[in-house]
Amino acid sequence: MLRLIVQRLLALVPLLFIVSVLTFSFTSLLPSDPVDLILGDTGTQEQHEMLRERMGLNQPIAVRYVQWLGRAVQGDLGTSFFNSVSVTAAVMQRLPVTLSLTLVSALIAILVGVAAGIAAALRPRSWVDRLATVGATIGQAIPNFWFGLLLVALFAVNLRWFPATGFTPLSASPWDWLRSVTLPAIALGLSSSAAIARQVRSAMVGVLQQDYIRAARAQGLSSRRVILKHALTNAMVPVVAVLSFQITVLLGGALIVEQVFAINGLGTLAIGAVRQQDIPMIQGLVLVMVGLVVVVQLATDVIYGLLNPKARPS
Amino acid sequence: MKKWITGSALLAAMALGLAGTPASAQEPGVFKYAEQVKLITMDPQKQSGSGIPFLRPAYESLFEKGPNGENLPLLATDYKVNGLDVTITLRQGVSFSNGEAFNAEAAAKNINRGVELGIVEGLKTVASASAADEFTLKIMLKEFDPAIIDTLCYTGGMMIAPGAMADPALDRNPVGTGPYVHSKEASREGEVQVYTPNPTYWDKDKIGLARYEVWEIPDDTARLNALKTGQIDAGNWLANPQSAIIDRTPGLKLIRGTGGLNYHVIIADREGTVIPAFADINVRKAMAHAIDRTAFGKAIQFGLAVDSYQPYGEGHWGYDAGLEGVYAYDLDKARALMAQSKFPDGFSFDMPSIPLYQSRLEALAGFFKEIGITMNIAPQEPGTLARVSRTTNYPATNLVWNTNTDPKFLALRYIFEDANYNPFKAKPSEELLSLAKAGVESVEIDVRAPIYKKMAARLADEAYLIFVASAPILVGASEKTATNPTVVYRYGEDSINLRGLKAND
Repeated sequence: MLRLIVQRLLALVPLLFIVSVLTFSFTSLLPSDPVDLILGDTGTQEQHEMLRERMGLNQPIAVRYVQWLGRAVQGDLGTSFFNSVSVTAAVMQRLPVTLSLTLVSALIAILVGVAAGIAAALRPRSWVDRLATVGATIGQAIPNFWFGLLLVALFAVNLRWFPATGFTPLSASPWDWLRSVTLPAIALGLSSSAAIARQVRSAMVGVLQQDYIRAARAQGLSSRRVILKHALTNAMVPVVAVLSFQITVLLGGALIVEQVFAINGLGTLAIGAVRQQDIPMIQGLVLVMVGLVVVVQLATDVIYGLLNPKARPS
Repeated sequence: MKKWITGSALLAAMALGLAGTPASAQEPGVFKYAEQVKLITMDPQKQSGSGIPFLRPAYESLFEKGPNGENLPLLATDYKVNGLDVTITLRQGVSFSNGEAFNAEAAAKNINRGVELGIVEGLKTVASASAADEFTLKIMLKEFDPAIIDTLCYTGGMMIAPGAMADPALDRNPVGTGPYVHSKEASREGEVQVYTPNPTYWDKDKIGLARYEVWEIPDDTARLNALKTGQIDAGNWLANPQSAIIDRTPGLKLIRGTGGLNYHVIIADREGTVIPAFADINVRKAMAHAIDRTAFGKAIQFGLAVDSYQPYGEGHWGYDAGLEGVYAYDLDKARALMAQSKFPDGFSFDMPSIPLYQSRLEALAGFFKEIGITMNIAPQEPGTLARVSRTTNYPATNLVWNTNTDPKFLALRYIFEDANYNPFKAKPSEELLSLAKAGVESVEIDVRAPIYKKMAARLADEAYLIFVASAPILVGASEKTATNPTVVYRYGEDSINLRGLKAND
């Protein structure tokens, strides 16, 4: 298992290199010019040239990339084109926000999805199963930003149970953190819970028909023990694969949900950076997001191996 | 008896509590304002767009606008414009929040820095500034500029502590003379900027808050929800569905400030280099008459904009009521003008568009189609419209004009042969040129107003700037904010005057 982790971490280096080359190249191809945004509508050609030179934008893209890479390997992802904010500091400040949101929504997705999937699998073709199926379909069909708006309208604007916008850090107040993260996490986790419910149901139905389950029941084991210990453990193997994908989806979905709830996470930072064509910020964000996805997939592989010894690397 | 005693004791306690209320109501509170744009910089001399609410707590300008747009002294006490020499007397007893003294030397350093950076448009006429004595600032102009004091009411006149100018992180560590100081510790980058009272402020009676917060909430719906739930006291909006909701929601109030944005079409190729039809005055007038501005305002700007036929809005000294309706929607007249033109069968042209203006241009394309003109909408990357509009890539473009901008900028942007948005280098008519020049020969508004009214009328005659709709500055406020007597909205700005502002509660 340790070998797998080391291999994956080593593979991260060329992956991040390729991603950085591609991001740098693609962002440089964008037609908009950050100098325009800085100088506004009235800058003269001379001012444009001066600023472009000061920002290093008049140098060839390869030179700019090498300079950036030299600093990046030392942990300095550069400074925003538009202010003195360090990219590393900006990303690191927002990372806990987006991770909080993603992890809580993943937790909600797992709890709701697994519970609904088990309930449906235990009574196939019953009303419970049909309800879970319809619920899963609706859950996957509803866009998370729209669901978020509904939640805000009901629970924040009308009932005033939760704040409509913003995020409170866990360190500032655990209670306020929970209140601030609940609605966005539900909005974000809904479609993933639907996907997980479908997967759990399908896997559980298959497992529950296996001989070893019948043998366990014949041995007089309690239904709870049979389901939770013997059936669910095996049914979770394909679910973990889905979960890995869903966490990646949640990270992407957080970008939109953060806007709806005015949460200052990586998504909000990314949208602002793309609008301004703040290349150093975009570059840093892409690298961090790629790193996160790789870490999630690595964690998935580790959990997969723990659940299924056959899948462990020799 | 026991119950009676307990009840009396409770009543007495409540009465004491109530008696204590007025004292606690005097305590300075918190005021929360939401800004629709993300904070780019808190360096006023590098600020080129929206975001003034982030600067006002910490920075003060030499002058400020009065309730009717008049220039009032703030860090200055008096001024005199004599040709190319501007003499400004400065307020004494003022210091920056870092302890540096505010004097003419500091003011001159600020003006010279602004000139050198070249981002503040209004300072482009300034050659240099110097200190005549400790509290007399001299500004030397390159050309006569009647709007120089106007410029010094905004970012061009905001004073930064000279010692802070060398700080590479000045854009996040503002040091000015304002009533509040920026609290880096309490602020969260990208989310909220927090300001606390400036202990060295020169007019302490005007500090009425314990804390002032500016929240960055770019999403219009999220900002609306924050206002509805009381998370913010006020915030700024553009004319969009969310501001229309504020306008009709009980308990909320949409404040319409003087100024705002005037949306207009610019026929850049008015000499017909690429599109010969644009050289025909009948065609341009037909286009102006073909636009149903009232329907446009209702459908595209949610009833929050007014029909526009000139660069300035009602309340501005350059506004001419006589121009109202000069190009009122009249399809028959528009068709007749097209029939009189050399292009009775119509023509087509390309118009650049950014996503924000897509619906506006779709509506305009529909209006122009009615008179046989096909306007092809050419999507551009967000943030590129201004740049594209300065090139000859398109024969026409569409932009917004800030209606509080001094009218001299109208000539600099659209009229002169080398104007920013005259990429085809079209020569202005003699009359227009002489009016544009006459408008900058005096500082007196009484003298300038009739000139600029004539210029607006002439622009209407030539119909190469087709004004469509003008949306005022919109500030959404809670009922408490709307009824708070200390809330004074700055003229021509989407911010609240912080001097004397007290919290709602």
